[in-house]
Amino acid sequence: MISLRNVSKVYPNGVAALRGVELEVSKGEFVFLVGPSGAGKSTLLRLLFREEVPTSGVVQVNGHDVGRMRRRQIPFLRRQIGVVFQDYRLLPQRTVVENIAFALRVTEIHPREIKRRVGQVLELVGLTDRSGAVPSQLSGGEQQRVALARAMVGHPLVLLADEPTGNLDPQNAQEMMRILLEINRLGTTVIMATHAAQLVDRARQRVVAMEDGQIRRDELAASYSEEVVR
Amino acid sequence: MKLRTWAFCLSEANQNLLRNPVLAIASVTTTAVSLLVLGVFLLLSANVNQIANTIESQVAVRAFFSQSTTPAQESAALVEVRGWPGVRSAKLVTRAQALSQLKQEFGNQGSVLNSLGSANPLEDSLSVTASAPKDVSPLAKRLNGLTGVVQVSYQSQVVSRLFNLIDGVRVVGLGLGILLVLGALLVINNAIRLGIIARRREISIMRLVGATESLVHWPFILEGLILGLIGSLVAAGVSWWGYGAVYSSAARSLPFLPLVSPTPIARDIAGILVVLGVVLGAVGFRLSLRRLARV
Ligand SMILES: Nc1ncnc2c1ncn2[C@@H]1O[C@H](COP(=O)(O)OP(=O)(O)O)[C@@H](O)[C@H]1O
Ligand SMILES: [Mg+2]
Repeated sequence: MISLRNVSKVYPNGVAALRGVELEVSKGEFVFLVGPSGAGKSTLLRLLFREEVPTSGVVQVNGHDVGRMRRRQIPFLRRQIGVVFQDYRLLPQRTVVENIAFALRVTEIHPREIKRRVGQVLELVGLTDRSGAVPSQLSGGEQQRVALARAMVGHPLVLLADEPTGNLDPQNAQEMMRILLEINRLGTTVIMATHAAQLVDRARQRVVAMEDGQIRRDELAASYSEEVVR
Repeated sequence: MKLRTWAFCLSEANQNLLRNPVLAIASVTTTAVSLLVLGVFLLLSANVNQIANTIESQVAVRAFFSQSTTPAQESAALVEVRGWPGVRSAKLVTRAQALSQLKQEFGNQGSVLNSLGSANPLEDSLSVTASAPKDVSPLAKRLNGLTGVVQVSYQSQVVSRLFNLIDGVRVVGLGLGILLVLGALLVINNAIRLGIIARRREISIMRLVGATESLVHWPFILEGLILGLIGSLVAAGVSWWGYGAVYSSAARSLPFLPLVSPTPIARDIAGILVVLGVVLGAVGFRLSLRRLARV
């Protein structure tokens, strides 16, 4: 599904954000990407949806060589990948429904189908009753759920979440986590970069720990920090 | 793209225009003014050309024969000249005819010529009119080479002054037009750039959710086209209607002035202006493409 082989990324300013990363993620997996700030988590995610290209190595998503993909194919890659960021990235002048539908309007899907799918994802994130509100009328947790709904409305194969709970209070963060696990349970592969040790520890999912652009630990059903040898 | 996608692009373009109405109005105004100047220049130059043509073709070139030339040689020359390309008409003016013409022109003061007595200092000549102004000077040269011709004269000063005037109008008008068109281009380009900056977030989200680049571009292309089109329609309308008004009032008060009839030319120029406006809009967009790629 997703594979990184000997991937390195050096930014134009000379910073080596990733160094020889090897990673395999199968369809339907849930992966926590953890590590200190500057470890390279965001860079890794950006390579997957071709926001950046690797300096060396091969990045594959669903059989496509993402780094060498032709420019005009990028949109079609992105329609198979949902992305959520720490800062929501919603359109401030548009309602919840419009924000979510926006992702489908650009793909030329029939309006009736758009309406149906928007209704589905609104239900998934529990915002059906807030559908006419604009982002400024919503709490941070609600805004992030709108962003999540927008990421999911295109039925992506993979959901990438870059510190999705970074700006949320513990309660909202937990709710977010619950929805992400639900999305994964329904079949979507999820990769979530996070600092939230508590959430990671409670979820007991695969944990990939990074440091200095390298993967230091990759364990199934693991916790945020390296566990003391039992 | 599907029809509803075009509708989507159009509504995005409209939002851009409405978000920044001052800039939209400035773009439309500069486009309209610059194209209007261009239109006025085109109409003016067409008219100056026409007036020059009329005057020019009325100017006759005179080729004077030496006194030893025989009448037979002169009529042979006349036949030859009539066969040349670029000659509208040619006739022989004998020295007697020339003298009586001169006397007629002097009118009351014709008595001055009486002092000549029976002597006639004039010579036989060919009076030739050209079919087009550009033919005048080669015609004069060619007449000069004719056997028996000793001197060729035409009112070259009038002609060259007219040509200078036409050239002046052309240079000034075209220069002004180009300058203003460049200004309009700059303003349209600026409007589009500001639209891009205002919609940075939207553009990056569009790309994130898998919009193709053409879908990202089209709202801005349409914005440029709309600005250019509205501006050019104003310019086209004003120059078409305005020239019609000038023409009919000139026909009334200055009937001797041979102005170009508005029906084909003002319409054609209006068409040219609209096409130019659309091109301006498209080029305005093209110039901001690099900015769009950097969002
Ligand atoms: N666009 C960029 N240009 C230059 N350096 C960058 C850029 N993005 C990230 N970096 C650098 O790359 C390293 C890894 O950053 P990042 O992937 O954001 O780590 P994380 O998400 O784990 O905090 C950091 O040193 C950061 O400063
Ligand atoms: Mg990060």
